Amino acid sequence: MLILVTEYLFKFLVIGSAGTGKSSLLNNFIGNKFKEDRCHTIGVEFGSKIVNIGGKSTKLQIWDTAGQERFRSVTRSYYRGAAGALLVYDITSRDSFNTLSNWLRDARTLASPNIIILLVGNKKDMEESREVTFTEASQFAQENELMFLETSAKTGENVEEAFLKCSKTILAKIETGELDPERIGSGIQYGTGTSKRLSAPKKPARMTPECACRV
Amino acid sequence: MLSEDGIENRHGPPGVNSRSLSSVHSAADLEVLREIEHVYFSPPSEFDAGRHVLENAPSPPTCEAIEQMFTKLKRQQQVVSGKALHLISQQRDNCDREFAEIQNIREQLTKTLETCRQAREHLRNSSNHLIISTFVILANVRKRQIIRSVLKSLELLRSLRSVEKDVADLLNRKEYYEAIELILKSRKAASNHKEYTCIADLATRLQDTLDMTEEKLDSVLSSICYNFDENLFRKLRKAYDLLGKTQAAMEQLHMHYSSAVNETSVEALKLYITEASIDLKFQEMCQSVQPNKAPICLLNLCENLFLIMRSYYLLVNWHIKHDEDETLPTSNNVFEIEKNVSREYIRQKLKAGLIRLWHEVQAKVSTFLKSSGLEEYAFEKFIQMLGILRKLTQVAEVFCGDKSDILQDFIKTQSVSYIKNYHRGRMEELKLFLENEGWEQCPVKSTFNLLNLQEFKQFKKYLSPTKADTSIVKSLSDGASSVHSQDDSVYITKYFNKNTNHTPFEIFRNENVTNDDIFGLEPELEASDESDDEPEELKREFVDEADRHEYSSNHNEKSLESPSRVKESVIVTNTTLSVLRNCGQYLQICRYLPQISLEVVMLMNQLFDYYFYTVHLFFTSDLDVASSTLYTTKLNLVLKRISNSIDTNSGDGDAKSFPCPDLPQHLDMTSEEKLHGLSERIVAVESVIFLAKQYELLQPYLESIVAPHQKLLLEHFKDNTLAVVVDLRMPIYMCSASKSVDARQSLIAMSQVKWDVKAVAVEHSPYVDLLTRKIQVFAIRLDDISSKITLNMTVLKSIWSMVSKFIVHLLVEGFSNATKCSNAGRGLMQLDYRQLFVKLEKISGLKPIPYQDYVDRYVKAYYLPRKGLEDFIREKTEYSNKHLLALIACACENKRDRQALTAIIEGKDVLN
Ligand SMILES: Nc1nc2c(ncn2[C@@H]2O[C@H](COP(=O)(O)OP(=O)(O)OP(=O)(O)O)[C@@H](O)[C@H]2O)c(=O)[nH]1
Ligand SMILES: [Mg+2]
Repeated sequence: MLILVTEYLFKFLVIGSAGTGKSSLLNNFIGNKFKEDRCHTIGVEFGSKIVNIGGKSTKLQIWDTAGQERFRSVTRSYYRGAAGALLVYDITSRDSFNTLSNWLRDARTLASPNIIILLVGNKKDMEESREVTFTEASQFAQENELMFLETSAKTGENVEEAFLKCSKTILAKIETGELDPERIGSGIQYGTGTSKRLSAPKKPARMTPECACRV
Repeated sequence: MLSEDGIENRHGPPGVNSRSLSSVHSAADLEVLREIEHVYFSPPSEFDAGRHVLENAPSPPTCEAIEQMFTKLKRQQQVVSGKALHLISQQRDNCDREFAEIQNIREQLTKTLETCRQAREHLRNSSNHLIISTFVILANVRKRQIIRSVLKSLELLRSLRSVEKDVADLLNRKEYYEAIELILKSRKAASNHKEYTCIADLATRLQDTLDMTEEKLDSVLSSICYNFDENLFRKLRKAYDLLGKTQAAMEQLHMHYSSAVNETSVEALKLYITEASIDLKFQEMCQSVQPNKAPICLLNLCENLFLIMRSYYLLVNWHIKHDEDETLPTSNNVFEIEKNVSREYIRQKLKAGLIRLWHEVQAKVSTFLKSSGLEEYAFEKFIQMLGILRKLTQVAEVFCGDKSDILQDFIKTQSVSYIKNYHRGRMEELKLFLENEGWEQCPVKSTFNLLNLQEFKQFKKYLSPTKADTSIVKSLSDGASSVHSQDDSVYITKYFNKNTNHTPFEIFRNENVTNDDIFGLEPELEASDESDDEPEELKREFVDEADRHEYSSNHNEKSLESPSRVKESVIVTNTTLSVLRNCGQYLQICRYLPQISLEVVMLMNQLFDYYFYTVHLFFTSDLDVASSTLYTTKLNLVLKRISNSIDTNSGDGDAKSFPCPDLPQHLDMTSEEKLHGLSERIVAVESVIFLAKQYELLQPYLESIVAPHQKLLLEHFKDNTLAVVVDLRMPIYMCSASKSVDARQSLIAMSQVKWDVKAVAVEHSPYVDLLTRKIQVFAIRLDDISSKITLNMTVLKSIWSMVSKFIVHLLVEGFSNATKCSNAGRGLMQLDYRQLFVKLEKISGLKPIPYQDYVDRYVKAYYLPRKGLEDFIREKTEYSNKHLLALIACACENKRDRQALTAIIEGKDVLN
């Protein structure tokens, strides 16, 4: 068995309103079939993939969150320390576009203000039902300092690009020193290929019973 | 002409004609005539008249006698001459007449002669004419014949020259028999015409043509391997029969099959490897297939190999049918016997060929599998691959009745190693999930169970809790047990039919095909009550806000007196769901790989263990009370067992252990407001318990998929792990409960009470109020929590019992700090804790307060006589020596007794 040597490990989020195609995007990315009748995600799901970015093999640890409102509280804990996020809306749904700023705020406050976010307009294949124009979304992206791509999880168009573009930006920022992998909660870890390792967080020493009670 | 008389007269002796002459002659003459000796009438040639006379001369020869004789003779001569003259003159007319007649005849003869001569002349002429033309004709005919035969030869030569082309035409028209026949005939013809010099050339050319034709036949024969065409084969067979090479052809065909297997295998791979690696050995080619292409490559491989198997299968069938059709009656004819022997030989060959071909196919597939990095397949792909292999084994069973032991074994070992690898991945993922888990209650329906998850869709019919157990077992036995059912083989046989160009493998190319289709498992029955247990969680229309509303309405009356409202709650976390989803996948693996069910189930249990262990690890890390009575024996055993498989040193442990999860940094477990993370603790513990319940739900199913002797293992897990999880509540809830009241502050407050009072007090001590207030605060904060998560009675009860357990112990601790205590003081103690319990009952809803015996017994031991005290200190091990010594100090007034009992207590220490 081949042991892949990875240099970095990035924690990624996929966020956005329900039904925008987050799970579909992730599944497409990790190589599963597209399903027309995918169920809503309950809580979060997980996928990982090793990609090659500029010659560096990098493991992406991707958390696919549920978009339904009721799962907000559950999914929040997964935002912590994400290095990158795909913020997904559905180009055929104005509603999903309108809620973007809420998602964006959550991501920046819960994950990290420096989180690299790529705006994804999904379902590009359904041009005939488009409700959000490319220009409009580009403008939103520009205003909020996001990268932007339109994708289709159905045809696979731009899916890999989206993840790679986001990863490349993170890597570039590491190299310019803008991002510090050593900082706890950066969402970046050194992989198996590097000797540098994040020092494992110290486990709190088990408290010695200060109470004399026996229970 | 001549009258009869005349002729008579002419020829007769003169004496005979005397009658007619008598009239003319005188009687004397007649007399004389008569006297003539007869001899004189003899012809002169025979009779010499002189001599006769001399001889008859008279004796003695006297002149007279001679004269007399002379006269007589003279007379006789005269008479005769006269007579003769007379006769002549008498006959003169006749003579003339006769002469004329003769003359006439002469003339006629001359004429006749002339005619003859003429005739002959004519004849000669005509005969000359006739003979020459005949000869010419004959000669011509002969010539013509010769030319004809030359022409024939030429024609033959011409046809011999065109044999090549004709044969090629026939071959194109697939008339092999005719082609061979033509060649053989031509060859024979050629050998009959050796006299022509050109024939020698032609003969070699014919031989070449024959060789070429045989080659062509051979190549057509090899095409049979890929697609058995009955007509084509029949033709070939006839042609080979004619050549007398039927048996040799069969040998050859078998070699073709072998090489077809090789070629096809290489072909199947070619599409998926780089140009450069095409010249490699098969095994190396397999290794160079890109991993993501391996499943499709395997599919191609199997499908192509199947086509060859099908062709062979049809070939064998054809022979069986063919043999039946023309089974020869057993005969003594040598030729027939030979034919039968050959046929029997071919039959055996074919029969053995089935197995041999399958082994070759199996070897190819195994080689591919071994080199294709199976562990790296995505789950879906792996399942698909299993499906392909399973189909292949079914194919083999139909093909040659082989159970594919090699492949089965291989599938098993590969599956086990895949599963282990897959499991390792899932465990890593689980670790991630746990480390990131927010321990928030995931909002699911109150009736949620694992069947609501998509991953369990296929198991609904086996697991549905509403259905009777018997039906579970029954439906299982036909669903999952046998790998090869009767139906399968019927189904597969269909694909061996010559009229189909479908293969059993094309199902895998269909995007919409489900794994169940692939494995030929019964599709899920659409039960009529489907709508009831439809996973509403998963429905698009699910309106979560309404759900949310329902939850909050519960909290409008938060009182514990209405526990029925909250009874139905389900507490699950994201991670719980993730574990359950994984279980679903593991069970799917089992469905497709019944032979490794136990291994998979054990791995599935490991997921549970890890979750269980982690919850304990995370949420008891701050347990600050001694724990001996918080842990049941079974709980200790389970934790011990699981910790053996967990690598706590975070080093690189062996492959069997899994790294221990890191304690989460993001959880707030210190805030008093939040009861030290009680909400998270509850979610954690209750989610483990929920998970255990789900596992229990699976047990009957699991027991049905493992071998009977393996059931014990499952039962053991159920009894010693799943049943034990509720015990986790005690230590974990105690973490929060023990912080509900400030122990130090309370003990100080208790120590300020005077226990050696004379009179029994009417009012309880102030520390009781202090404790009560603390408990009230706890209750309020607990309410806050229950507005966020749905707490059922059991949870509340166990939290409160931990609070009371802690308080009871706190009380005993406090009481034991009193070195002096009067009777009234003992009464005050009772008053205090009774008062406290009344309050606690009210606040917690617990009635009676659990564990109150502990303090009750301790306080009342004061009243025991010496003997009773001794028994008490010997038997009640739940009290510490400090507690007991304090008890003795207060209860024993007699100094000697006190010393004796103290000695017993201290002796106990030594004993332990
Ligand atoms: N035509 C088209 N349909 C898509 C595309 N992506 C997703 N879908 C469909 O949209 C529906 C929702 O997709 P999901 O991937 O479940 O959406 P989601 O964002 O994960 O939804 P939640 O899990 O509820 O947050 C599914 O029925 C998909 O088949 C796309 O690119 N094109
Ligand atoms: Mg989803």
